[in-house]
Amino acid sequence: MIRLNVNNEEIETDAEPDTALLWVLREHLGLTGTKFGCGAGMCGACTVHIDGTPSFSCLTSIDSLEGAKVTTIEGLSPDGGHPLQRAWVAEQVPQCGYCQSGQIMRAAALLAENDSPERAEILDYMSPNLCRCGTYNRIVKAVQRAAREV
Amino acid sequence: MQNHSATPSEALAPLTRRRFLQSASALTFAIGSAGLVTVSRAGANETTQEAAETEITAWVRIGTDDRVHLVFPSTEMGQGSSTALPLILAEELDADWDKVEIDQLDRDDRSFGNPIFGNILYTAGSTAVYGYFDSLRIAGAQARRILMRAAAKSWDVPMTEVTTEPGVVLHEASDRRMTFGEIAALPIDDLSVPEVTETDLKPASSFRLIGSDLPRRDIPAKSTGRETYAIDVQVPDMLFAAVLRAPVEGVSAAGVEDSESLAVPGVLRVLTLPEGIAVVAERLEAALAGKDRLQVDWTGATGVLASDSEMTLSDYSAALKNPTAERAVWSEAGDTDAAIAAADRVVEAEYLSDYAYHAQIEPMAAVASVDPDGLGAEVWVGTQTQSWTTRTITETLGTTADRVRLHALTMGGSFGRRTALQQEYVSDALLISKEMGRPVKLVWTREDDVKNGRLRPAAAQRLRAGLTADGALSGWEHRVATPSVIAYFNALRWEQVRPKDIISMRGSESKFYGFPDMRAEHILTERHAPLAPWRGIGASYTSFAAEAFMDELALEARSDPIDFRLALLASNPRGQKLLKRVAEMADWNSPREETALGVSFAGYGDSMAAGIAEIALDRESGVITVQHFWTAVDAGLIVSPDNALAQIEGGIVFGLSSSLKERVTISGGEVEQSNYYDYEILRANEVPEIEIHLEESEARPTGIGEVGTPMVAAAVANAFHALTGRRLRHLPFIPDRVQTALA
Repeated sequence: MIRLNVNNEEIETDAEPDTALLWVLREHLGLTGTKFGCGAGMCGACTVHIDGTPSFSCLTSIDSLEGAKVTTIEGLSPDGGHPLQRAWVAEQVPQCGYCQSGQIMRAAALLAENDSPERAEILDYMSPNLCRCGTYNRIVKAVQRAAREV
Repeated sequence: MQNHSATPSEALAPLTRRRFLQSASALTFAIGSAGLVTVSRAGANETTQEAAETEITAWVRIGTDDRVHLVFPSTEMGQGSSTALPLILAEELDADWDKVEIDQLDRDDRSFGNPIFGNILYTAGSTAVYGYFDSLRIAGAQARRILMRAAAKSWDVPMTEVTTEPGVVLHEASDRRMTFGEIAALPIDDLSVPEVTETDLKPASSFRLIGSDLPRRDIPAKSTGRETYAIDVQVPDMLFAAVLRAPVEGVSAAGVEDSESLAVPGVLRVLTLPEGIAVVAERLEAALAGKDRLQVDWTGATGVLASDSEMTLSDYSAALKNPTAERAVWSEAGDTDAAIAAADRVVEAEYLSDYAYHAQIEPMAAVASVDPDGLGAEVWVGTQTQSWTTRTITETLGTTADRVRLHALTMGGSFGRRTALQQEYVSDALLISKEMGRPVKLVWTREDDVKNGRLRPAAAQRLRAGLTADGALSGWEHRVATPSVIAYFNALRWEQVRPKDIISMRGSESKFYGFPDMRAEHILTERHAPLAPWRGIGASYTSFAAEAFMDELALEARSDPIDFRLALLASNPRGQKLLKRVAEMADWNSPREETALGVSFAGYGDSMAAGIAEIALDRESGVITVQHFWTAVDAGLIVSPDNALAQIEGGIVFGLSSSLKERVTISGGEVEQSNYYDYEILRANEVPEIEIHLEESEARPTGIGEVGTPMVAAAVANAFHALTGRRLRHLPFIPDRVQTALA
């Protein structure tokens, strides 16, 4: 059994030690807000925080997570009321929405580092996360809106 | 209710018969393409058996609790019609939008199918709003009159004295009002459908919902991770499957070495499917690991399906000049040959475009639970067509539609990918569930999704036009050598439309210009890959060729590219307005130092768009950077302006991504790319600032989902010529090609 701390809850999993965190979150714990997109760290749909650092959960095996704190979109705020989530709604960012959990998790890490990022800084920081619907410019607006509110 | 543990989206609660029955009494309305068909009272005394036998969808249901349920007949892939379509009906009904709930149609009920596609339930071609616009408005207006009539009768006043406010019927003279829910509770005896004609509908000046920026209903769930996609569904006792599909169409497995797969803890079975090998496991990670350990000898790849993409494109190019190649006129006016023969000089150019992949971020996934007798199933899947998904299920199981319980889930992007008559990811999931006797979640990896892509076809195009001595156009010929997409992805449709293939050819009609002498011809080449519609369909490459060629003609005519187009648009003042507007937005005449502008005028269907790209170039690396994109769009009446802006912007980003980067190559019949590292799409740090002007119009809506895409490639190519004096005639404009053009 491997012990994990996910969204401030201690859980145990009987998944194989080399299992990707992504599969444990989604299929073992039912935390399906974190998405599978590429399995190669190329799209960012699986982005979660590991001790506050945005990380590809598809490339993180659970045996590397002892003592670490994992935060998923479900744990970002108790009620979906994180300033970024409110800004995502206010700016009407999502289209298909599939990548947006990952986008929000990466954006949250950006705001933790930089409380008033410029457009170019946002685009650079967000570039590991793909959006096929092309919402990038709205993401910029939403991040800046959230930054003003924080 | 559904028995999957995932939380259903708050926006698109699945419509189920039982929930419908559990409600108290309600007024329900059935809709068809001409408006309301029947009105009925759904009482609490109705039995499940009766409801199942009537099989009538309650497209509109007004509950005594004031809730108005509207069934959404299309499906949601990010385009926003799950908000826009109900909003159109709610407008005429004068419903209180806060009391409107939207239910996804989960059945192949073609009584209110998409009229643009012969009433097939089919979400494609930017057609949802304009295809359903009239019938939704008329149905809403009729339902409103039924409520007014019932209220007037209960107050014993003439119907002409009652009116509505959102969710309420009122009689001002006596200061009486009743909510829609209170009316639904009345013992209404007149359930006849009133006549309503277009002149009875609200004028645009009275719209409360249409044209306002009401938030999309699906966005809160998509901002919190609570939206449920097919890949997220979990049902009790579910197994997981990964499938190694045949790498080339038509090959089968001659030998399967599966001992290593079966040795993976949790792997239960390895199954041979008609077109692949499935690994079934208790856990997804085991199924995927088992699939990676399969060793399969594939046999049978021969002939046209084992070809190389480079060879294919040169064959298509050769077919342009082959007088005996199979061809079909797509669009024709006047006498093109005579006009060109009479011209002072003739300009010709050839354009090429590569295969492209949808690259939606949710890979194909489906959950299937086949009944013990093998003749029924519950299926959770994203689909652009409830009709063809249902058909896939009935054909796979040899059963009838009444045994199908479909859950059409919102899609993690689609862009044409989930439109086919036969959906291989659905049939695979069914066959595995049937064999295992348990529900199965089938998940494709990104590699599966790329290798088994259904592609936009490669195409070779030749443009030929005459110019008079004073630089006026005299005859326009556009030849497109590419296979029929429809013949492959929907053979039933091909029987109806052959030889006219709108998917392969759209855009080449250049209809916005209204050329007096023109011909667009489809050279129907051999298909060498699996094909599907792809955002913008044919216009994504035909408008590239046409609008890049237009720039070449303007240069030859010594005319400014915008002035040259304006002259051709003499009979299209709406189009002229867009070009003038975008020229102002981009400050077209102001010189740039390190960058250059290129213009394009295209669109999709009846929606027009003029666009200007500003590009910079790193000559050493051959990398083009698009710094700005401006566009002016006329898509008629806009139902949801903010969402229209989002869709147009998304369409432009899609167009930029495919123009600069996206290319599938095929070797020996196999797709050579694997994942986003070798099929790259545009990233955040590559996206330009985009400025959009939406022309205000009360003309009929014409669609906004794809209008942003077709203009983009030519705008970039034309800007490249303005910057370098060189032409880019092969899409995409990858650095190698840019360097070759510069050499």
